Amino acid sequence: MNRNRQTKTILIITTFILAGITAYAQQPIPIKGTIRETGTQKPVPGVSVKSKHSRVGTSTDENGQFSLTVPSNDILLITAIGHAAVEQPVNGKQFIEITLAAASNSLGEVVVVGYGAQSKKSLVSAVATIKADEIKNKPVAAFDQQLQGRVAGVQVSANTGIPGDGIFFRIRGTTSINAGNDPLYVVDGVFINNQSLQKITTQGQSNNPLADINPADIESISVLKDASATAIYGARAANGVILITTKRGQYNTQAKVNANAYYGSSWAPQLWDLVTGPEHATIINEAWANDGKSFATRPFRPKSEGGRGLPEEQPTYDRLHDIFRTGNLQNYDLSVSGGNDKTRYYIGGGYNKQQAILRTNDFQRASFKFNLDQQINSHVRIGSSNLLSRSYRTNARVGDGPQGGILQAALHTPTYLPKFNDDGTYAKWAGFDNLDVLIKYTDMHSTSIRYIGNIYGEADLVRNLKFRTSWSIDYNDYNEYEYWNSLTNRGSASKGLASSSVSKNAIWITEQTLSYKAKLGQHGLGLLAGNSVQGTVETVTSAQGTNFPNDSYKQIASAATTTSSSSSAGNRQVSVFGRLEYNYAGKYFAEFNVRGDASSKFGTSKQWGYFPSVGLAWLASEEPFIRNINAISTLKLRANIGITGNQNGIGNFASRNLWNGGANYLDNPGTVPQQLGNTGLSWETTRQTNLGIDLGLLQDRINIEFNLYKKYTTDLLLSLPLPVSTGFSSVSSNAGEISNKGFELGITTTNISNRRFTWTTSFNIAHNVNKIEKLDIPVDASYSAERMLQGYSMHSFYVYKQLYVDPQTGDAVYEDYVKDGKITADDRQIVGNAQPRYFGGINNSLRYQGFDFSIFFNFQFGNKIFNNNRFFHESGGTRDDRRAINKNQLNRWQKPGDITEVPRITTLGTNYTLSPVSRFIEDGSFIRLSTLTLGYTLPQKLTTRIHTNSIRIYASGSNWWLWKKYQGPDPEINVTSDPNVQGYDLGTPPQPRTIQFGINLSL
Amino acid sequence: MKRFTYIYLAFLMLTTGCKKFLHVQPQQQVDASVAITDAVSAEAAVNGLYNRLGSDGYYGSNFISLSYLMGGDIQWTGSQSAPAQIAARALTADNSNVASAWTAIYRTILSANYIIDIVPGLTDPLLTDAKRNQYQGEAYFIRALAYFDLARAWGGVQLITRPTYSKSDQEGIRRSSVAETYAQVLGDLDKAEALLPVTVNRNKATQKTVWALKARFYLYQRDWAKAESYASKIIDDAANYKLLKPYSAFFANNVTATAESVFELGYSTSFKNGHYNWWLPPALGGRREWAPNGNLVTLLNDPAIGGNRNALIAQTAPPGNLWYGKLYYRNPTGTDPAYLIRVAELYLIRSEARVQQSKLTEALQDLNAVRERAGLSPATATTTGDVLLDIENERRLEFAFEGDRWFNLVRTGSVKNVLNITDPNKFVFPIPVSEIIADKYLDPNLGY
Repeated sequence: MNRNRQTKTILIITTFILAGITAYAQQPIPIKGTIRETGTQKPVPGVSVKSKHSRVGTSTDENGQFSLTVPSNDILLITAIGHAAVEQPVNGKQFIEITLAAASNSLGEVVVVGYGAQSKKSLVSAVATIKADEIKNKPVAAFDQQLQGRVAGVQVSANTGIPGDGIFFRIRGTTSINAGNDPLYVVDGVFINNQSLQKITTQGQSNNPLADINPADIESISVLKDASATAIYGARAANGVILITTKRGQYNTQAKVNANAYYGSSWAPQLWDLVTGPEHATIINEAWANDGKSFATRPFRPKSEGGRGLPEEQPTYDRLHDIFRTGNLQNYDLSVSGGNDKTRYYIGGGYNKQQAILRTNDFQRASFKFNLDQQINSHVRIGSSNLLSRSYRTNARVGDGPQGGILQAALHTPTYLPKFNDDGTYAKWAGFDNLDVLIKYTDMHSTSIRYIGNIYGEADLVRNLKFRTSWSIDYNDYNEYEYWNSLTNRGSASKGLASSSVSKNAIWITEQTLSYKAKLGQHGLGLLAGNSVQGTVETVTSAQGTNFPNDSYKQIASAATTTSSSSSAGNRQVSVFGRLEYNYAGKYFAEFNVRGDASSKFGTSKQWGYFPSVGLAWLASEEPFIRNINAISTLKLRANIGITGNQNGIGNFASRNLWNGGANYLDNPGTVPQQLGNTGLSWETTRQTNLGIDLGLLQDRINIEFNLYKKYTTDLLLSLPLPVSTGFSSVSSNAGEISNKGFELGITTTNISNRRFTWTTSFNIAHNVNKIEKLDIPVDASYSAERMLQGYSMHSFYVYKQLYVDPQTGDAVYEDYVKDGKITADDRQIVGNAQPRYFGGINNSLRYQGFDFSIFFNFQFGNKIFNNNRFFHESGGTRDDRRAINKNQLNRWQKPGDITEVPRITTLGTNYTLSPVSRFIEDGSFIRLSTLTLGYTLPQKLTTRIHTNSIRIYASGSNWWLWKKYQGPDPEINVTSDPNVQGYDLGTPPQPRTIQFGINLSL
Repeated sequence: MKRFTYIYLAFLMLTTGCKKFLHVQPQQQVDASVAITDAVSAEAAVNGLYNRLGSDGYYGSNFISLSYLMGGDIQWTGSQSAPAQIAARALTADNSNVASAWTAIYRTILSANYIIDIVPGLTDPLLTDAKRNQYQGEAYFIRALAYFDLARAWGGVQLITRPTYSKSDQEGIRRSSVAETYAQVLGDLDKAEALLPVTVNRNKATQKTVWALKARFYLYQRDWAKAESYASKIIDDAANYKLLKPYSAFFANNVTATAESVFELGYSTSFKNGHYNWWLPPALGGRREWAPNGNLVTLLNDPAIGGNRNALIAQTAPPGNLWYGKLYYRNPTGTDPAYLIRVAELYLIRSEARVQQSKLTEALQDLNAVRERAGLSPATATTTGDVLLDIENERRLEFAFEGDRWFNLVRTGSVKNVLNITDPNKFVFPIPVSEIIADKYLDPNLGY
C-alpha cells in the first residue's frame, strides 16, 4: 500500500511540475460519478478517486457514488483494494460511470503483501485476498474461523461449537510437531500473539485470542502461502502469514456513518443417542450372564432380592437436553469515517454477544477502533492504528475429565440413575458432578483486555526513496476466575475452591524500512530494506483459595486458606530484511526476498538464521501471440522457491540446562533439575517450491488459479524422547523431517451478469499429503490413540486393529500385527489419520435488483475421527453403572451367526478391555451448508426520502444442512488445543445451527 | 543527505547492541551450573530430592498403587484403561501408569546423583561437615531406596550413578542383573549409614532409617539373621518407635509423624500427596477411583481378622452404600503422609526372619504384637508354614492401602497360589515400551 501511495505521490508531484511548465490549464468543473463492479453491477463503496493532475481526491460512498471538482482534461485514478486500478479520462464529461473488475482473481487487483502492496499482476507468489465483507455472515467470534472453506489450501476446523474457543488452522499442511503450526498474524504491521494466555483449564479447547479482534473492523485479509510471499517474515513464516488490514478513512470524504446490527438464535441440530434405563440394565445383566456369573445375583434383579430393580423398572433421565439450549446471538457495529485533504480517520465501535448452545458458555466482546493518518507536509506523513477490546467469556468445563465437566456429566452419567437421592439431596454418580448443580453453579469466567496499536511516520527522502518507521505493541491482559461451590465435586471437600489468574503478555516491535521504486524505460525496479527489533514478556500471577465461610463469598479474600504464585518469562528477536523486485515490460517479473533473524531462544552459536526466496513470473497474456487468442484474457505462470523458519512453541530457554524451584518438602523450598538443554538448538527450516498458473477466460468471466506446491521441513524442533534413565524424558532437539505436497485450485466465474441479475460462483479445493519423512523415535501424542511415526502422516491413529467379530463366539478378533501368536502392545498399528485428503468450499452469490442471495458450502473428505465417546459408551458392561451406554451398543453380538462390529458383551477377555481399538475410528468426511443469506436493499428513492444512503435488511443462517458419516452429532470436533492431537472426540459440543436477522444502514 | 546519515546511524545503533540485547536470562529457573553452589542451595536440592521421592508418580500415589492394584484387594472404578489393566493383572508394555512410576523413580535418582556428585566438592564455609555428610547420606539413602524399588518391581535395571549433563551422558549402559542391582542398593545403604547421624527424624533419612530399610532389604535377600538384627535395632528403640493403639492412631485425626513411623513423607498444601482425592467418594469431594473390593471389605469388617483395622474403611449413605478407603482422607489439603516404613513392618519382618531361623516362639511374639494392637487374639498357628501364612495375611490387612501386598506375594512366591500367576515373567512389571524404543541398550522384560 505504501509503495502504491508513494507512486501516486510521485505522479502527483510530476503532474505539478508539468502543470507549471504547461502554459495552459483547463477550468475545473464539478463532476459526479458511480463506480460499480464489473459483472455484479454492485456499487463499490470506499473506492479512492483521485485527480491525476491536481492533489484533490475523494472516495465513493455506500452507493458507489462520488463527486469531485477537477479540470475537464484531467484523468481520474481509481484504486481499491481487491479491484483493478483504473485510469479514467474526464474528457469534459460531468457524469462518469466506471466499472471496476470485480473478480478477486483479477490481475489488476491491489494485494497487501509483506511490508507493502503490489498489484496482483506483478505477484510472483501465491497470495489470496479476502474482503472481510464476503465472510462476515458466519456468526462466530473470530475472523479466522470465518475463513473456513474460503481460501484454497487453508484448512480450518472449528474443534468445538463454543464461540470464542480455539480452532484448528493450517495453511498448506502441518509442518511441525513441537514448534507450532499456526500462521503468523500481522495486524496493520503489528505481529500479534495468537497463543492462548488461558491458565485455568476448561479441560477442552483453550480460548482463541484472535476473537479479541472485531471482524467488522477488518477491511481485507491477505493469506500469504508460499515462500516467495512469506520469506520476508523469515523465521516465523513457515506456516504462512495472515496479514490483516483494518478499515481506514478516505481523504476528502464527508463523514460517513455505518451501522450494522443482527439478532439471532442458535441451537443443536443433533445430539447423542443414549440407551434408555431398561436397555442399560439389560446390557449390564447380559454382561453378568456372559461372564458366567450367577443369575440369582445379577445386578438388575428385584429390589426385594437386594438388586437394583428389574430392567423394566428402571427410569430414564435425559440429561443432554438439560444442558443444550437455544442460544441467543446479537451483534452491533457502528463506525464513522471520513477525511479532508490532509487527515483521514476511522472510528468504530462494536458489541457482540453469543450464547453457546451448551449452557453456561457465553462470549461477549466490546471493541473500539481508531485509525488516523495525517499529512504533515508534502513529503511527511504520520499515522496511528489502534484497537482496544474487551472479551468476556463465561466458561464451563468441557472436554476431558469428569470433575466439573458439564458435558461429561450429561453425556456419561448412566441414563437410569436419578438426579436426586432419596432424601432430596443432589445425587452424584461415578465421579461426575450432579448436572443440575453444574448448570446452576458453574462459575468460571475470563476477561481479556487487548490493545493492538502502532504509530508510524513516513517520509519521502529523495526521489522515489521512502523511509518508514513504525512502533507497535500488542498488549493483552487476561484475567480469569473460577469458583467451585461446596455442592460441586471440586469444591465440596474444600468448602469452596476459587482460582484466579492474571496473565499479561506484551509484544513490542519497532521496524524501520527504506523503499525505492523506479521505472526506467521497460525496466521496473523495486527495493526494500529494513530492520526489526522485537521483545516479548509474559507475566502470570495466580492465586487459589479454599475454605470459604459459605457459598456467598466467592472472592479469594474471604478464603481461610490461600496459595499464590507468580512467574515471568520473555524472549527477544532482532531481524534485518530486504526485497528486490524487477520487471521487464510488465511481462517478466522477478523477485528476491531475504530475512535474517536472531532469537534469544536459541543457543548463542546458533542465534542467526537466514531465509531467502526467489520467484519468477511470466505474464504470457501480454505477449502478442496469446493476446490474439480471444478466449484467453489472462495467462500468467509463476514459479518460486524459498526457505522459511519456525520457532513458535519452543520454550524461551530451551537451549539451556535448567533447575526449577517449587519442589518443596515440609514447607521448605526445594529445587530439582527441570530441563536438559541443547546448546546447538536452532530454527526449524522449511523449503517450499510453488508452481502456479493464473488463467482468465472470456474477459475474465472465468478465473482460474492453480498452485502446485511442495514443502519440506528439516531440523524439526522436537521434544525428542530420551531414555528416562537419564532423569529427563525428553530434550529439545532439531531432529526429524516432515513433507507436505499438494495442489490448490480456485475457480471464480461470473455466470450471468446484467444490470438486473448477476450470478457468480467461486469454488476452491485443495489436496495435501503430509508425511513424517524422518523421526528416529516415534512420539506419542498426549492422547495416545495418536502417534507420530516415520513414514506416516501427522495425526495418525495408532491402535489395535479389530478385524471382525467372530460370528460363532462373538469375540472381537484383533490383528496380530507382529505375528507372534498373541496380542501385545506391539500389535498396535496405524489405522487412518485425521487429515482430510480434499477440502474446500463453494459459494454462489446472486443478485436480482434489490435482492441478494448467497449460499456457501464447505467440505472435507477422507479424514478419520477417533470417537472416544463411543469408547466409553460402548464398553460392553465393563463400566457397569459408571458410564452411560449408547444405542450402538445394542447392535452387539448375541447369538451364533450374528454379523456385527460390536462384540459380545462381557467384562472378561479383550472384547472391551483393549484400548485404543480401531472400532472407534470413523470417517469424518462432511459437506456443510455453512452459510445462507438473503438480503434486500431498499430502493434508493425510498432511502433518500428518509435521509439515509442505503438500507439493507437480511436474514442469514448457518449450518442448516450437514452430510456426514460420523456417528457423533458433528464431525468438526477435537478434545484439546494440543496441536498434535486432531480428530479426537471426547465430550465436545457440536456446531450450532443459527439464524440471524440483520440490518445494514449507511448515513 | 543529512537526513540519510541520521537514518544510517539509527540503523547502526539498532543492530550493534544486538548481542547484548539477545542475551535474555530466565527469571523463573536457574541454569544447572549454578543450581548447587553453597550450603543453602545444597539444602534446597535435598528438599527437592524428597519432593521427587514423594511425587505423584512415586510414593505420592502411582508407584504404591501399582502394588495394591496388582495385589488383588483394590478395585479400580474409574474409566481409564491403564489402572484397569493393572487391577486385572493384564499388563501390557504400554501401560502408562507403569511408565510414569518408572519415570518418577529415575527422576529421583537424577536428583540424588546431582547431590552425590556436587556436594562433596562445595567450598562454602557455612556448609559444615555434619551438614555435608547428612546431605550426601540422604542422597545415598534415597538412591538406595529407588534402586530397591526398581529391583523388586522390574528386576535388574540400568545403574545410573552419575548426573546427566548432556543427552549422551548415560548412553550405552545396559541392564545389570538383579543381584548387581541389589548390590548397588547395599553399597548405597552402607555409605548412607556411615554418613547419617543417629537421630530420630521420621520425615527424613537418618541412620535409624537406614537400619529399617536394611531390615527390609535383608528380608528380600532372605538373609534372615541380618533382617532380624536390623529390625531389632528399631524395635528395641522403644522410646522412639512403638505400635500405637488403636490401629487408627497412626493416621486418624490428622496426626503425622507418630511414634509408629520410622519413615514417612510429609506433605503440605504446597506439596500435596497425590492420593488425597482418589479414595474419598464424591459425596466427600473425592473421586473414589480406587476402592477396597468386596473381599477386602469382608476381611476388614471381620472382628476376628480385621479387628480395629476396620477403621481403614467406611461406607457412603444409601442408596449408594459404597465402601471406600480412609487412609488418605485429608481433602483438599492433601497432607496425608506417605507411609514408607512403619514399626509394624519391622515386627513382621523380624517375625518372619525368626520363623525362618526356627525361632517360632519369638516369631509369634512379634506377630502377636501386631495382632494385639489390632485388637485381635494371639495367633494359634504352630507350624512354620502356618505362621508364615499368618504373617502374610497379617501384612495383607496391616498394609492394605500401603502397597505392600504385591511385592510381598512375589517375594515369598505366594503369588502363584494367591493370584494364580504361574508365569515367572509376570512377577515383574514390563519395562515401558517407550523406553525400549528410546534406548537401544535397554532390553525388555520377557513375556510382555
